[in-house]
Amino acid sequence: MKKVRMRLRFRNIVWFAASAFLAVIAAGQNLAYRQDPNWQPPQSAVVRSNPLAQNAMAEGGGRKLFLRECSECHGQEGSGRKRAADLLLPEVQKQSDGALFWKITNGNARHGMPSFSRLPELERWQLVLYLRQLPVSASSALPAQKE
Amino acid sequence: MKRVTPYIFLFILMALPAWAQESPYFATYDHHLEEPGNLEVETQSNAGFPRHGEPSYFAPYLELEYGVNTRWTSELYLEGQSRSGDSTIFTGWRLENRFRPLAAEHRINPVLYFEYENINEASRIQKEAPGHATEFDTPNSESRHIRAHELEAKLILSSDVHDWNISENFIAEKNLSHNEGIEFGYAFGVSRPLGTIASAANCHFCRENFIAGAELFGGVGSTHAFGFQDTAHYFAPALSWRVSDNSSLRFSPAIGLTSKSAAVLLRFGYSYEIRGFKDKLAGLFRSKPW
Repeated sequence: MKKVRMRLRFRNIVWFAASAFLAVIAAGQNLAYRQDPNWQPPQSAVVRSNPLAQNAMAEGGGRKLFLRECSECHGQEGSGRKRAADLLLPEVQKQSDGALFWKITNGNARHGMPSFSRLPELERWQLVLYLRQLPVSASSALPAQKE
Repeated sequence: MKRVTPYIFLFILMALPAWAQESPYFATYDHHLEEPGNLEVETQSNAGFPRHGEPSYFAPYLELEYGVNTRWTSELYLEGQSRSGDSTIFTGWRLENRFRPLAAEHRINPVLYFEYENINEASRIQKEAPGHATEFDTPNSESRHIRAHELEAKLILSSDVHDWNISENFIAEKNLSHNEGIEFGYAFGVSRPLGTIASAANCHFCRENFIAGAELFGGVGSTHAFGFQDTAHYFAPALSWRVSDNSSLRFSPAIGLTSKSAAVLLRFGYSYEIRGFKDKLAGLFRSKPW
């Protein structure tokens, strides 16, 4: 009987911790933005594959680049801030590597996303590689956001 | 050597507080603008060693570069000059704006550049060398009183091709204070990072932190006398080093190619980028929740 109670208490703690964690993520998310329907890469860009996809070593460099170039707007965890989108959302993560690469390269001038074409091409692919390692937010009920 | 030593000392002094990967160019502009809301504080200096026994000079300047939005960058320059055996003076200020008319990346990316200069004839920062070559023999006590209100426009064309940046600048400058016609100039630059993939480690001397390049700049006369006669032209290898995530150092010796050019220009700069400057500034004026 005591064991069952202990298990129940442990399960409650886990549920509470998980709920609190999700609540913190939800609070940190940026719900004000909507995905820009006009910001669409051409088909030729969408189908490009990441040349570093098999290079696990490159992800570390991607994280370094993300913290240096992207975290100011997208936050250190990529969950977005007032100015920029939550990169953990399924709407972002479901996009192809080529589409993300195109968006990093070209930016979206109308919505404040700068172009990162000044970075070497492989470094931009490293960023895509790192974005793929971010945990995808389970909350698909959230409104789609601007990337 | 005695004449050069103080300048070397000054360079070292300016390097001490130094700590955003910058393009290595000093005279050429590419199409990459400052990110919106960021402020870049940059000090640069130009040490010139003219021919024909004219006194050498040292011209430092402070540059404040702000990203107004993704397609507009604004810059303010404050500049000075010190001549060997002469005085040290403030030579004026410049306000510069750059606009990107096209939103996305193209094979050739145009940028429109407009600058107003309120300087005097003692100015020697040599951000470009349009028109005819200037004389270096007038003492500061005289040249500082000759004001020059100038308007400058540039067409910047820039391309990123397989990690190479290729930039071409076409310059037109009009001195509103004196009848010099419209002066023309050019600046071309090529650069490439030494490393094109980022390592996971936070390293200072990794190849990815260095960009090497070269630029060629000079004048092509004016509407009064168009052509290469009596114009200055320089060829300059250049190197940029990202010292930390938000600062970089640049160095470029420029070699004078014509008898009217200075023999050598030693150009040195470091920049510090304040990311999210706009938000930080706004935060200072936000009311505190008591």
